[in-house]
Amino acid sequence: MFIFDFFIKAGPIVMIPVIITIIGLVFRLPLTKAFKSGLIIGIGFAGINLVIGLLTSNLGPAAKAMVKNFGIKLDVLDVGWGSIAAVTWSSPIIPILIGTIFVANIILLILKATNTLDVDIWNYHHMAIVGVMTYFVTENILVSILAAASMAIITFKLSDWSQPLVSKYFGIPGVSLPTVSAMSSLIIAVPLNWLIDKIPGVNKINLDMKNAKKYLGFFGEPMIMGLLLGCAIGALAKYDLTRIFQVGVNMAAVMVLIPKMVALFMEGLMPISEAAKKLTSKKFKGRKFFIGLDAAVVVGNPEVITTALILIPLTILLAIVLPGNRLLPFADLAVIPFRVALVVALTNGNLFKNIIIGLGTMSAILLAGTATSPVLTALAKTVGINVAGGGLISSFASTSLTASFLVFKVFTSNLWITLPVFIVIFAVVWIYMDVIRPKKTHQSGDEVSL
Amino acid sequence: MKRILVACGNGIATSTVVATKIREAASERNLPVTVNQCKLMEVESMASDYDLVVTSGQFGGTVTVPVVTAISLLTGIGEDETIEEIMNFVKQ
Repeated sequence: MFIFDFFIKAGPIVMIPVIITIIGLVFRLPLTKAFKSGLIIGIGFAGINLVIGLLTSNLGPAAKAMVKNFGIKLDVLDVGWGSIAAVTWSSPIIPILIGTIFVANIILLILKATNTLDVDIWNYHHMAIVGVMTYFVTENILVSILAAASMAIITFKLSDWSQPLVSKYFGIPGVSLPTVSAMSSLIIAVPLNWLIDKIPGVNKINLDMKNAKKYLGFFGEPMIMGLLLGCAIGALAKYDLTRIFQVGVNMAAVMVLIPKMVALFMEGLMPISEAAKKLTSKKFKGRKFFIGLDAAVVVGNPEVITTALILIPLTILLAIVLPGNRLLPFADLAVIPFRVALVVALTNGNLFKNIIIGLGTMSAILLAGTATSPVLTALAKTVGINVAGGGLISSFASTSLTASFLVFKVFTSNLWITLPVFIVIFAVVWIYMDVIRPKKTHQSGDEVSL
Repeated sequence: MKRILVACGNGIATSTVVATKIREAASERNLPVTVNQCKLMEVESMASDYDLVVTSGQFGGTVTVPVVTAISLLTGIGEDETIEEIMNFVKQ
């Protein structure tokens, strides 16, 4: 008990190195290597905390002034997925949740219920955060483990089902993408795509904007995006000219610095990911499966970049006009390509559909991000994240993502009602995708597509 | 000394894996290299300062330097061949 108290008091900066060392040892890394991994991730956390301080102390007051001056009520700051990943990795229960996700994958593989081998430990944070937030709300470790396991199962199944898209559209065979930030969009995109295809006339529309990259590429660079947004918000706050530019340059700094800090997390986790890969590939030797990779491998596709560049300004406009939204898009505008990558594959690169569906998925992200920001902010504060001025924070990741939001809601509401509903819906989709659809497509000879 | 630019979607995750493996392979062979990381969107504006571009996934742009696709360093399938391809280039 004394040791436990000590670590709680010491905070994540001391706890992270210890936790990651333990996870490393579980995956049979040598002690020195495991400890170094832990320390690097601890350093990444310290760095991210500094940058969040810079972000919230600059943007927070400006956003509040903007609300007062113009009634544009965007007072929930988007601190970016990397900051949320830092919160996730510094939770005391993270080793349990990482273990849960890893074991869930192994069990599903053994049962042949999935073909996705996901040892991309780095992206486990997207699934684990739902467990961390569920634990924060319910204080029930069992419910939180179930939430993380549900996220894992949904992610592996969505990866299986979308694998033909990845293979066909992006030309990467044998690979699936269990990255929640990319996969989650399909929950809204698939029905929307189906609907658009049913509307006569509309289903024939396509746009051609090959030049979008030429004109918008410059603004898509994070530092330029940060500068322009910072200046714009400074102006809306009715700051004087020097202060407008100060906010602008500081925000450009945030956009460039957050990824650099997050890269330390990746560096620290890589030896663990590699060890997990070795461990599992030995276990499943000879079995054919899809290797789960970070969706980063497909966001370089030119159609994905074009769609994202058009959606970045549209998302800012959307945030202003969308009723109920309070999330001010900022740090995660840089990762919109991940949110649309699979939408682009789904529509086979139809830009008109990509923009319409993209706006649909972004609306869901903004509203869920607004709705869950109080819980996220309170959680971030408990791990010592420096949120200046008592404002709210959120992102385009964690429970802003549609899949994560739904699972979080299921496990934090009345379980006796939500859990059966969730299980029935998921089971119906599973049976349709794995039993009914393969038969249908086989009979009609259609190509398999989502 | 050869300069290598490693690019991926966000310049963080998969490019770190690829860059680390290139650095390790080069130091095992006692070959000096400089490896830097960036986002795929930045490749076209940065590539001219490098001798080789390595991407972790699909790359649709055009650059004047050779480009190696290194998805095998992530999946582990054909990893040794890709490392050899990059090391042969470094030796030149």
